[in-house]
Amino acid sequence: MKLLSIELKKILPYKTFWIIIGLYFLFLALGIIMAEYIVNAMVDDVNKRLPIPLPHAVLFYFPDIWQNLTFFASIRFVLIFPAIIVIILITNEFTNKTVRQNIVNGMSRSEFIYSKLQVVFMLALIITVILMLVMLTLGLIHSDSQSLSLMLNGFSFVIGFFIQMLTYLCFAFFVAFMLRNTGLAIALFTLYTIIIEPVIYFLLRAPFIWENTVYTYLPVNSVIRIVEYPSIPALKKLMNFQLQDQVTLLACAVPMIYAAVMIGIVYLTFNKRDL
Amino acid sequence: METILSINQLSKRYGRIQAVNKLSLEVVKGQVFGILGPNGSGKSTTLGMILDLIRPDSGSFTWFGEHPSKESRKRIGAVIETPNFFPYLSARKNLEIVAKVKDYDNSDIERVLRTTGLYDRKNDKFKTYSFGMKQRLAVASALLNNPDILILDEPTNGLDPQGIAHIRELILQVASEGITIILASHLLDEVQKICNYVAVLNKGNILFSGEVHDVLAISDCIELASADNAALKAAIEAHPAFHSIIESDGILLVVFSEDVRPGAISEYLHQKNISLSHLTERKRTLEQHFLELLKDNES
Ligand SMILES: Nc1ncnc2c1ncn2[C@@H]1O[C@H](COP(=O)(O)OP(=O)(O)O)[C@@H](O)[C@H]1O
Ligand SMILES: [Mg+2]
Repeated sequence: MKLLSIELKKILPYKTFWIIIGLYFLFLALGIIMAEYIVNAMVDDVNKRLPIPLPHAVLFYFPDIWQNLTFFASIRFVLIFPAIIVIILITNEFTNKTVRQNIVNGMSRSEFIYSKLQVVFMLALIITVILMLVMLTLGLIHSDSQSLSLMLNGFSFVIGFFIQMLTYLCFAFFVAFMLRNTGLAIALFTLYTIIIEPVIYFLLRAPFIWENTVYTYLPVNSVIRIVEYPSIPALKKLMNFQLQDQVTLLACAVPMIYAAVMIGIVYLTFNKRDL
Repeated sequence: METILSINQLSKRYGRIQAVNKLSLEVVKGQVFGILGPNGSGKSTTLGMILDLIRPDSGSFTWFGEHPSKESRKRIGAVIETPNFFPYLSARKNLEIVAKVKDYDNSDIERVLRTTGLYDRKNDKFKTYSFGMKQRLAVASALLNNPDILILDEPTNGLDPQGIAHIRELILQVASEGITIILASHLLDEVQKICNYVAVLNKGNILFSGEVHDVLAISDCIELASADNAALKAAIEAHPAFHSIIESDGILLVVFSEDVRPGAISEYLHQKNISLSHLTERKRTLEQHFLELLKDNES
């Protein structure tokens, strides 16, 4: 608790933190509002070529809302915001050299790492709880009695989302500790998430034997894959392969192993390096 | 005497540069210990190692007779190379973080803000401070809850004369309260004014250490000139108490290893048939003396 309260003293008065958190929720809200329009635009487009038109999608009813909103909240472009917060909060300690101040004043190096992990955990938890409350509210507004009875069916997606957030933020934690430079860390992390991994995907896809195997195990994709598809009955019918209907333990395990290894590397290197 | 810090054969190398070379020293309670050396002599590296910021290649040290730990660091107040604080937090908030890390409550914050003259600006953000104020905040954080030992790395570097005087006064005041101090500086007069014990550092090695008035004892030098400076030089170098000589603008600056009066020199040279056109006694500046200490060691 002492470490967390020190972190809160650093974070709460920090304007940049609130600005990025604000931007994150703004994007999230926009994404949620637009999601239905986007999906139904797709349905309309498809309907032009179908003899029997598909019904419009409704995203926000139980239990599908859990899967749908956690899916939209965990696409790369949205996920990157909290990761940037984590990178800034950690690299700031190096650029302001406050990490030296902390160590000199009697924090151990392990405590310093641990305090940042607590920030990562709390951030993931708070974002998940806020999203959960939003989903609960929207779901209650849009659901009829029949779907209400299925309310808890898709709850594994909330836990899955928390794991997504937690592991992805651990990746950001890792990059921040390794690079120590705010601009460089944000640039590389964003580049990797949004460009490098998708490019690897297309390269690996070319010979079809590779499809969905190696790529599945790349760090960021392993996070994304926890909630891989939205749950839209109309689209389910359209595509002939089975869409996921729950979060699997296996899907969670891959990014968690990555995160554990990264945390281990941070402990080992940070304890050896000069500050 | 109670040993506060004991360093044993500490070494650190950066690539080709041996920043600190098998350095050993001991600081006992109540000492005001100066680490004196030119820029790059390894002062900050040494302090960084004993504060757990820099990993030594070899060697060891103990704090308060114990294996160093975070608990021992909580008893130390340190001003390291640059003032390191959160730019968007006020002085007060920054000190609250320091206090929290050290397991103190906030009751001593007002006092150190007053002592360092920051009280009126305590609610202003750190980034709005002048360099002098930032440095004073660093001193304030080091003084929090009266540490057992105060470590200062070039605390007056980059300050204006007024700022320098203020910081030195503060240090002297702390010293007078009996708090042990380690002061790293490249300024001889600073060490001489503040410290009672000194280790002279060059290229990572301790050249001398001891009581300040022994190590930094000043001998005067004598300016000489004659029609034939070459003969004069030869004669002077043959003097039994000769130490060193510097020639500039036709004048020889001579240092003797013991006190030699100008009259005696004149006499001595007269016997060697050298008549002087110039003879004055000159107080050497402390810096000259310091440079000579370093030069002696190289030859
Ligand atoms: N991080 C570093 N990387 C490479 N060389 C360094 C580093 N830190 C210090 N040095 C070198 O080590 C030597 C000692 O530096 P330092 O301890 O800062 O000296 P001082 O504090 O006495 O001025 C210098 O030659 C300096 O260039
Ligand atoms: Mg230095």
